[in-house]
Amino acid sequence: MSSGARFFLLQIVALLLAILFGALVGSAILLAIHKNPLEVYGLMVRFNLTRADSIGSILYKSTPLILAGLATALSFRVNLFNIGVEGQYYIGAIAAAYVGFAVTGLPRAIHLPLVLLVGVAGGMLWALLPIVLKLRRGAHEVITTIMMNAIAGALVLYLLEPGLLRDPAQAGTPRVRTPDVAPGAQIPSLLPLIHLLGLRVPESSRLNWLLLVGVALCVLFWWILGRWRFGYEVRAVAQNPDAAEGAGIANQRIMFLMFILSGGVAGLVGLSDVLGYFGYYDIDFPKGYGFLGISIALLAKNNPIGVIVAALFFAFLDRGAQGIQVFAGAPREVITILQGLIILAIVVGYELLTRYIRAQRKREAQVTPPLQPVVAPAGAGEGSD
Amino acid sequence: MDLLLTLVSAALIASAIRLTVPILLTALGAVFSERGGVVNIGLEGIMIMGTFGGAAVTLFVARGFPEFTAAHPNIAPLVGILAAAFVGTLFALIHAVVSITFRVNQIISGVTINLLAAGLARFLNILFFRVSTQSPGINGFTPISIPLLRDIPGLAPLAKSVSPVIPVALLLVLIGQWVLRRTRFGLRLRAVGEHPLAADTLGVNVYLMRYLGVLISGALAGMAGGYLAIEQGRGYLEGMTQGRGFIALAAMIFGNWWPLGALGASVLFGYFDAFSLRVVNLRIPYQFITVLPHIATILVLAGFVRRAQMPTADGLPYSKEEE
Repeated sequence: MSSGARFFLLQIVALLLAILFGALVGSAILLAIHKNPLEVYGLMVRFNLTRADSIGSILYKSTPLILAGLATALSFRVNLFNIGVEGQYYIGAIAAAYVGFAVTGLPRAIHLPLVLLVGVAGGMLWALLPIVLKLRRGAHEVITTIMMNAIAGALVLYLLEPGLLRDPAQAGTPRVRTPDVAPGAQIPSLLPLIHLLGLRVPESSRLNWLLLVGVALCVLFWWILGRWRFGYEVRAVAQNPDAAEGAGIANQRIMFLMFILSGGVAGLVGLSDVLGYFGYYDIDFPKGYGFLGISIALLAKNNPIGVIVAALFFAFLDRGAQGIQVFAGAPREVITILQGLIILAIVVGYELLTRYIRAQRKREAQVTPPLQPVVAPAGAGEGSD
Repeated sequence: MDLLLTLVSAALIASAIRLTVPILLTALGAVFSERGGVVNIGLEGIMIMGTFGGAAVTLFVARGFPEFTAAHPNIAPLVGILAAAFVGTLFALIHAVVSITFRVNQIISGVTINLLAAGLARFLNILFFRVSTQSPGINGFTPISIPLLRDIPGLAPLAKSVSPVIPVALLLVLIGQWVLRRTRFGLRLRAVGEHPLAADTLGVNVYLMRYLGVLISGALAGMAGGYLAIEQGRGYLEGMTQGRGFIALAAMIFGNWWPLGALGASVLFGYFDAFSLRVVNLRIPYQFITVLPHIATILVLAGFVRRAQMPTADGLPYSKEEE
């Protein structure tokens, strides 16, 4: 077996061990509250896999997670920490909602792409300041993006004040939200296609086409990062910025582009809810996808295809949490804790594995002195360390 | 004129001081962690655990020993706030093990701690109190009244019914400044954050120092959470930290990684916080006030106010074997 395949296998093993660790601690918690872990986990799997409404729910829940995971992973690929996906998607979502309701009379073929692009632009705009300050003034992006998250939260609240973007038709009700977006700006349901595939997902499901946009973006970035010259440059910058600069790759340009792309993808995160479900931006708009996106990128080791799998896994756990709450009487927070533990275990596992691989490579290099300078095979490092 | 009066009213300043304390304690903790070279963005999560732990333990003591509590009302909150510090230390230990021993990226470890804390606090609250988002109400410390100050007309709101945690927090800042500047431990901690290899060569135990820095940050952030729940909220409420753990990091940066600097920044941020609660009738959107600390922090980080001088090895894992 080639060493590349062996390392990939080891990664999968590390992943399974992390999930096992999470499940074991989860079992201890369940035992402590007098629930049988096997029954609870069994119920979760049955609830998730045997019900058509669960399948629809998992796919719907995975949509923002895929986009948030991809957005985070793109920044991680160049060793930048975009903790700001959270704020970027608030801005993308409210901007898209605005263009969705303020512009009327456009056919869907124009209006829908327009609002999606506005979402992307909103996310990019919110990512612009942190990356410019990082590259020009050395301001650490972790802190600036955390601050930008708070500013985005306040800005959105301000925009929802009366007289600004708040729906005047809701005056006198406790609803704090924008007007409804035009029909042309709504993302169509995916159910006709799903039914064509023979899955009997009920009509109540809000599954929409943004899921396929997310998957397509993951595949696109997987292709770009794996096969394009740009992807090679990204890996070079991540692995050894000085060597890359020496080889004529403009580090700053690559970092800027990846961060802005990260913000752009982040701008789409909230649109499944705003344009595919509610049809308006509401003060109780779902929050926290940005932070889940970090977990998903970590789980996927920043691999865009891995992001899809990790997002489905998290959506599976989330749906399962609803199931065990209703049918096993176990608090759904058990699953939230389990998610946190799995992430904690997997980051330690990957770190140990990376160190082991590095030591192996060093040993191999010492055993057989190469005739030529060693060049790491493209793609071997996954660009994440 | 209205605005000016509001800006300097004793009630506003008293409220600002109350709101300063949680930011201040956590920022002081962050200084210790980062001076040792470990970025701890898990402080928000640690604070959350402190709010729950502080409220829960105060409640248990008060319920478990009702007669004793009636005779000595300060004991239950005291045990509660110490328990909050202890819970914070335990949680910080996770960050220390993952980021110092296993050398996982400190940002990643911190983010994970925040995710874990949110779920855990909710779960424990359901376990103990059967609802997910809030604990039953509790009694805090008996307020103190500061002699001399309370006799000056106009300053009475500042000097009467003050939480005893406030002077303790101020004292901790002074002690923290002295420890970092003058003591052997402080010098070693800073050495480890500036140049771990050199410190190691001179026989300083880098891992031990970094562990201590992180654990101190956990104890202080936990205590800050305990203060919020016991003294401010009179009970645990989900989300009551409102991102103050992050604001505290901002205060630490604004204060240039020194306890006294963090004090200045925390007072400023606490003042913004108090002011934002009072601008409703002044035609200034309160959201503009609440974001002032965040904007200020970005400006400082970008060097527009003055150069931020972080410890040189801040954020970098240290390994004895490699390199």
